[in-house]
Parts: sequence; C-alpha cells; structure tokens
Amino acid sequence: MSEIKTEVLVIGGGVLGTAIARELSRYKVDVILVEKEADVSWGSTKANMCIVCQGADALEFRKEYRRSKLVWESIPMMEPLCRELDVPFKRIGELTIIRNNDEMTKFQKLKMRAESVGITTHQFIDRETLHRMEPNIAKDAIGALYDPTIAITDPVRLTIALAENAKQNGGNLITEAEVQDIARNADGFEVKTSQGNISCEFIINAAGMLVDKVAAMVNADDFVVFPIRGYVAILDKKVGEVVSHEVHARPEAPGESNIITPSVYGNVLLGTPMKLARRGDYATTQEMTDVTLRNAHQLVPDISGKDIINSFAGFLMFRNWELGWHECVVSASRNVPRFINVSIGYPGVSAAPATAKEVVGLLSQEGLKLDENPKFNPYRKEITDFSELSDEEKTELIAKDANYGHVVCRCETVTEGEVVEAIRRGATTLDGVKFRTRAGMGRCQGGFCSPRVTGILARELGIGEEEVTKKGGKSRHLLYKSKVLLQGRE
Amino acid sequence: MLQDVDVAVIGSGPAGMAAAIKAKEAGAENVIIMERAEQLGGLLHQCIHNGFGLLYFKEDLTGPEYAHRFIEKVMDAKVKLLLNTMITGIAPDRKVTAVSSQEGYTTFRPKAIVLAMGCREKTRGALNIPGTRPAGIFTAGTAQRFVNVEGFIPGEKIVILGSGDIGMIMARRLTLEGAEVKAVVEILPYVGGLIRNEVQCLHDFNIPLLLEHTVTHIHGEKRVEAVTVARVDRNKNPIAGTERQIECDSLLLSVGLIPENELSLMAGVELDPVTGGPIVDETRQTNVPGIFAGGNVVHVHDLVDNVSWESELAGQSAASFVTERKKAAGRRVTLKPGRNIRYIVPHTISGEREVTLYMRVNDLEEGVRLKVGGIMSKALRVVKPSEMLKIELSSAQLGKLEEGTTEIVVDCEKRGE
Amino acid sequence: MAEERIICIGCPLGCLVTITIGDKGKVADISGYQCKQGQKYVLEEYKNPARILTATVLTQNSSQPLLSVRTAAPLLKTKLTEGMMVLAKTRAKPPIKLGDVIISNLLGTGVDLVATNDLAD
Repeated sequence: MSEIKTEVLVIGGGVLGTAIARELSRYKVDVILVEKEADVSWGSTKANMCIVCQGADALEFRKEYRRSKLVWESIPMMEPLCRELDVPFKRIGELTIIRNNDEMTKFQKLKMRAESVGITTHQFIDRETLHRMEPNIAKDAIGALYDPTIAITDPVRLTIALAENAKQNGGNLITEAEVQDIARNADGFEVKTSQGNISCEFIINAAGMLVDKVAAMVNADDFVVFPIRGYVAILDKKVGEVVSHEVHARPEAPGESNIITPSVYGNVLLGTPMKLARRGDYATTQEMTDVTLRNAHQLVPDISGKDIINSFAGFLMFRNWELGWHECVVSASRNVPRFINVSIGYPGVSAAPATAKEVVGLLSQEGLKLDENPKFNPYRKEITDFSELSDEEKTELIAKDANYGHVVCRCETVTEGEVVEAIRRGATTLDGVKFRTRAGMGRCQGGFCSPRVTGILARELGIGEEEVTKKGGKSRHLLYKSKVLLQGRE
Repeated sequence: MLQDVDVAVIGSGPAGMAAAIKAKEAGAENVIIMERAEQLGGLLHQCIHNGFGLLYFKEDLTGPEYAHRFIEKVMDAKVKLLLNTMITGIAPDRKVTAVSSQEGYTTFRPKAIVLAMGCREKTRGALNIPGTRPAGIFTAGTAQRFVNVEGFIPGEKIVILGSGDIGMIMARRLTLEGAEVKAVVEILPYVGGLIRNEVQCLHDFNIPLLLEHTVTHIHGEKRVEAVTVARVDRNKNPIAGTERQIECDSLLLSVGLIPENELSLMAGVELDPVTGGPIVDETRQTNVPGIFAGGNVVHVHDLVDNVSWESELAGQSAASFVTERKKAAGRRVTLKPGRNIRYIVPHTISGEREVTLYMRVNDLEEGVRLKVGGIMSKALRVVKPSEMLKIELSSAQLGKLEEGTTEIVVDCEKRGE
Repeated sequence: MAEERIICIGCPLGCLVTITIGDKGKVADISGYQCKQGQKYVLEEYKNPARILTATVLTQNSSQPLLSVRTAAPLLKTKLTEGMMVLAKTRAKPPIKLGDVIISNLLGTGVDLVATNDLAD
C-alpha cells in the first residue's frame, strides 16, 4: 500500500470506531478506518453480554456524568439504528432482583432519585409476579425492580453493519492495519501502520484496549484508563428459556453484577464480576467459571456447568476505577489539536449512537468542514438467514442459487450460500464467517462445519486451505499439506 | 422420489446402510437413505485404519473397505439415495423436512423412520478448558477428516487429550505422517480404549502416555503454543504444584462422543440421559410409533460390527411396522442397571424371543460375575467402562422368567465375595 | 539370558508377559499370561512383530486429494516409518478400484500396498 491521504483517520474498528465512521459518512468527508485485527469488532465489542440499556446507571444517573448523558441520549437511537442496519434488537426487559429488605429500602431510594431526574422506566414487582415472570428464579427472592425497556442485540453484527454502511456511503476500511507510530506535521498527522503510511488531518482514537497507548504515540494521552476484565459463559440452547429477561443482582461495587441474560440467538449468557487485570490477558481460568456458576446459582439454582458450550474473557477500559465509578473520555486532546480520544468503557455499545454524533460535533469544533452527503443511505441489509426464512422463501432461494441448498453448519442450519455471502462481504477468516453466519457457534463448535467452511474460504479467496486462518495473522488453521512433513525429513 | 416412502433412514454410515439394506430385505418397498455428505459411508471413509469387520465378516478390514461392502449391498438392493441432503426437522407425526441443492426445501411423511445419525464429539467449550482461544484446537474426529480425507496435517507438535480409541489412533496416524505427538493425556489411571491400540499406537511409536493427568490451560494467542498438564487426584481434580508446560502447536481432543439426537428430540423421542440416545425396545423402536433407531445414535459403540447388527434390527423392525402394521404387543420387561452397570440397551425386552443385550460398566473390575436377573450369569476376567459387553439371552433362558415379571436387574458382582 | 516383555492384546486384561530368551535366541521360558490364546499371541509377537500399515497417498488428476491404502499383509513394525517415506513419494492416478495394487513388493518385503477405496477422476 503506497502512501494514502485522507481527511479523517479513525483508529479502531469496534462499535465506537465504526459508529463514528458511519456518522461521518453522512457528510462529504474522506474517512479511513484502520483496524489492527483481520476483522472489525474483535476487541471489547466482541466480548460482552450484548445488553443495550441505561447501564446499571439508570439508577445511578447523574446529569453531571458525561457518560450518563451519552448513554441517555443513545437509548432512543438504538432501536431505529438497529432497524436501519437490519441487526437484531430485542426488548426483553430487565429484572434487578431484590433479595432482602435492606435491598428493598436501597432500591426504593434509588428509584426515587432516578425519577427525580426523569427516569421513570422502573417499576417494583412483588414476589408472586416475579416468580410468574421468571419461574426459575431462586425462591428467596422477595421481588424485583423491573425495567421493560432493556434490550439485547448482537454488538458484533451491529459493528459489522456499521462498517458496511460506512463503506456503502463512501468510507474506507483497512483491516490488519496496526497503528505503529503517529507524527505531527503541518497538515495534521503522518500515521505509520503495518500496512503502510497514511497522512490525515484529523484523528479519532477509538482504539479500545489500546486507546491510551495510541494517544501516547503523539503525546495526546491526557487521561488514564485501566484494563478491566470480565468473563462470559454461554449455555447450550437446549437449556431453553431458563430466563426470559435479563436478570441480575445488585452490585455491591461497580462491575460486580452477576448477570444472566438470553441472547438474541436463544442461548443464555452468564456474566461475572469484572476485575482489574493485565491488559490483553484473555486467558480464562477455572476460577472464573466457578465464580460465575456460583453467582448464577444464587439467582437461578437450576443452572448447570454441564450446559456451558463456550466461554470467553473480555476487556473494558475504565477511568477512575478506584473511585468506585467511572467517567468516559470523549474529548479533543488538550495537547494535540484535531486529535480526539474516544473511550466509553461500559456501556460502549449502548452509548455508541450518541457518542458518534458527539464526536462529529467535536471534529467540527476542531475545524472539520461538514457538508452533507446527499447520497447518504442509512439502510443496510443483513446476510440471508436461511434458517429464518419461510418454507416458500427457502424453496425459491434454493431454486435461484443451489448453494443455499447445501447446509454446511448442521447445528445452526447455515448454508453454503450464506457462507459465500459472508466472504464476499468481507469475511476472510473462519471467525469472520462465524460471526456473520453463526457457522461454528453451535453445540459441535465447528466440528462438522470447519472442514467445509475452510474449503469454501479457500475457494472464494483463491488461497490454499492451509492458508486459511482462524482469526488472521499467525492463526493458520492447518499448518501443513499432507506429506510435507515427511518430505522434509529426507 | 419422496412420495410414498415406506422407510426413511437418516444417515448412511454403517448404521444407516445396514438398516436400509435389511428394511428392503424384510419387505419394505420404498426405502430411502438421506445423507448430508456427498457419498455413502458416513465416518467410515475417514477411518482408514483396520480392525473393522472382525466379527461381522471375519476379516480385518479398514473403514473404507467395510463401507464398500455395505455400499455394494445398498446399490444391489436398489435403496433410493438422497445425498447432499440435510434433515432439518422431524415432527412427532413423522413429517420430515429436508434441504438439498437438488431437491430444494422439501417435506414428506415416510411410514417409518430409522434414526442413524451417529454422534458428535465433545468440544473444548463443553469441557471449558481454561486458557486462550487460539487456532490449533481440534476434536480428534475433525482432525482425522483433515488428515485422511482433505489432505492436511493440523500441526507438527501435537498433544492429545483423551486416550479413547480415536485419540490413540490419531496419535499413531499423525506420527506416521511426520508429526511429533508429544503426549497422550488421560485423566483415568488406564487408557480409555482397547489395549490393542495402546500397544500398537502408543508403545510402538514411543508416544508418552500421561495417565491420571489432564490439560489445565491452553496457551497461545493466535495459534496454540503450549498446554499445561497436571496430575489429578482420585476425584479427577488437578493437584496444585504438579503442573508443567508442554510446548506444542496443536491440541487434539478425544474426550467423548455424544449421540446426536437433536432431530430425535424434535420428533418427541424420549432419551435416556445415561446413554444420551433414545430409549428403545428390543426391536429398536423408540417411544414414538414408527420411529426406530440404531447404531451410535442410540449408544456409543466400540465395534462397528455391533453397529451393523443393531441397525439391521432397526431396519427390519421398521419394515415390519410398515408391512404388517403390527402394534407392539406382549410383555414389556424393563432391564434395570444394577451394581456397576451403567446402562443396558435395549431398555425393554419382550421376554418372549432371544435377544442380545449391550451394556457398559461404570468401573473397571477384575474377577466379576455378570448376573441377568436369575436367568443367566457369566463369569468375566475383567470388565472396563470402555469395552462394551454383549450378552445373548436365549429363548430357553428367557423361558425361566417368572410369569408377570416386569423387571430384570442386571448386576456385575465381584466373584468370591 | 535376556528378557523381553510383551503386553498381550487379546483381551482387556492386557497381561504383561515376560519371555526369557536363551542360547541361539530360542525362547527358554514364558510367564505372566493367563490363557492359552495369550501365550500363543505373545510368542508370535516376539518372533514376528508385524503390523498392517494403513495410510493415504496423494493423488493426481483426481478431485479427491487422497487415496486410502493398506498393506495387503502385515509388515515388520520396524519397517513402518520407512514405508511411509516411500508412500510420501507415491501418487495414485485414477481410475483405481478398491483392492488394486498401488505399490507392489513394498521395500522388498514381498508385501503389496493396495487401495482400500476407489479413485475416480
């Protein structure tokens, strides 16, 4: 890649970076988004509980917290955004379980305070109603605070959709481009990436777990963030509707929520208290599972570790962790003009829509000219979901393209046609196909489909099967063609 | 093709083929096999090692050779074939939904169904092994497909978790193909598979076998770089302080097979939580009239020969169901697992005909006596959970059952006690 | 007198059998077995530790990347690795029928390598 020039460089292809790129594509602005991984959404965006909400701070809402404001403004934007982008959005409601009278008193106070700032979505429900709504809840729960507005989505799909829509409307995306250095020059910045140099006038730093490291490259790090790690366990779909709302117990301290929630695909997710951790240490431990299960049992005793089909760790960057709650970073750097740092921490997904608009406002303040793009099209269609089509639609589709009759993922009923679509729309890895089609997310975890998906990737990308990777870089799936090892011995 | 199907067999591995052939032989006219792959034979094609057919054919065949014998019979018997076809649903009224490029999206209602879907493998996610999520983690069967069918060797330095037969066979296979198998790690104090495989796969190639160990951590960001293994105590819990790292680029998991019964559940078939497969009577009929099952989908077999014999029963019964419309009549005697018996298939028998019982024990024991109610007993030198027991009950022995018997307990007792 | 230990694979007991070898390599004593079949197997295994080799060879001009093969009779187990090196250089060309000889007289042992499957274009 030879030297490229652009107006705005967005660093980081998570939900925030892509939301900003998409927002910028409403204007006649040259935008490039660089993402260091082989696909968008593979940082914090990929590893969370997929809940769209006021964050536990509906009850903690403080007008003076910038983060609360951004979340509050984003909430009404979320559903329309998901509809425009054709990504899942399901309003399931949230139950904050009340376990004793002390909690009851505490919640009453919090509810009153929330109402005093205009948040009126919560209602108390009694023990009987709670157990009717959630028959599997622990019998000692005396009631709950119910917020029917809480919803779930798929942040990865949302991010992919935002990136696609940004591209549709003129934005550029370069993956596997890690930012290595940033230098200031007369016109703005010279950015060295693993894929070549980019010169730009404005930089949006939405680099997630590395947001402070990227800012430090050009001395724009006038903030401090801490890596906080959480853990999520996914239960087999056959567990069914062990809960049908998002259910959690009130945290004693920030990040301590024990959450049990359905996912938009019919799995149940268990989430565990977040803790300070070494940046980038994604390794899960037995203790994480044990703690998660123990906490989950307090809410829903019937949940069994045997039903876990997968689990993962995820990171968020928090400010003021020691202060007990945190603020966000959405501001132009004090030291470096036209360099905007963006880090929400939690809830990044929920705050994305308003944050994107806020950032565009900040860019304008820094001098970016915003002429409207008359061709901006906010609509983007999702890849076909064969399993959700009607019988007639399935028949029609197969008649049009025989690839849709070839089911390659048995567990989630994903067809070759969908896999090809995913690849043509940007997936270059097994995980990329997985996140776009769900092939590999079912109970056999890719045992049946991975040979087939590997073959399709190789064919569509014109590479050998041994070059196909799980997630880009050195993650090749198959290391050797048959006989190469033996021939090497001679 | 899908009009007036008498018997629809789901799966064309050794179970499905045997069932379809027998259904035809037993008089069903319109018998069809539905198979999701491009060819008949199921997993036999990737099982290129020998040891198949020692009982059924009295020959020592490889998987593809065993498959070939049945494929020829399937073709001769003029069984109809729908390849590249995925069954996406079976309703309790036996309505089957199928998807294929050729036929599109179709539904049909066969008069009888034989479930022969086999098993899937237990995954890393299900074991919840701590660590990172790099490339290079394979279940042994998926690795076997890559090595023996697709033409790829997953890695050069391999650790295998689980010493079941698949794990040991892949240890040998990968060694022969030039990789280094650094260890086979087994949580029990003895191998999970046949002694024959321990000797001919591990000893023959000097592959280290770590008994009473397990993998406690996977390392590596993009690709596996190492695993941590640790010794375990009697309760299979890792013992702190015994951890050590083994450098490797691949981890193969041979940690269990799970009968694949998603379709069975959709059809309302009742499953036995111990076997993971349908509860069946001696004709291999499930609780849903007209739905039969045979092979690994019922319980995990050791020998393909037994898969074929069991599935022939299912096929024959499916044909009888169609041609004679015979209702399950007569007694139902429940077989109850007693001391050290984990499960028995079939779950119920009529007590009126000779029958073969398949069972597994919970614990390894030497010097035992197998007792089937009061009607039969057999001394055995040793019993192991990984080696299925096959007990034939003759009509004479069943004749000794008391009138009105509804249950027979099968015990495995220590001799000399 | 030298000793050799062999595990019998006849049944799940896996008896560890000890063979004592005397002058001229003759078997002087054998102990540890629990049945006649075991004794027979171990003596045979001592004299002739042979294994069927099952593997794959690469193909040419076929949509199937591999052809599964086997030796028609057991090979001395010490010859397996060398045999695999010969197989690594072998290419199978269709049409091939199950049972066709792919390599005759592998490594001069008199044992043929045969196809265990058909190979089409």
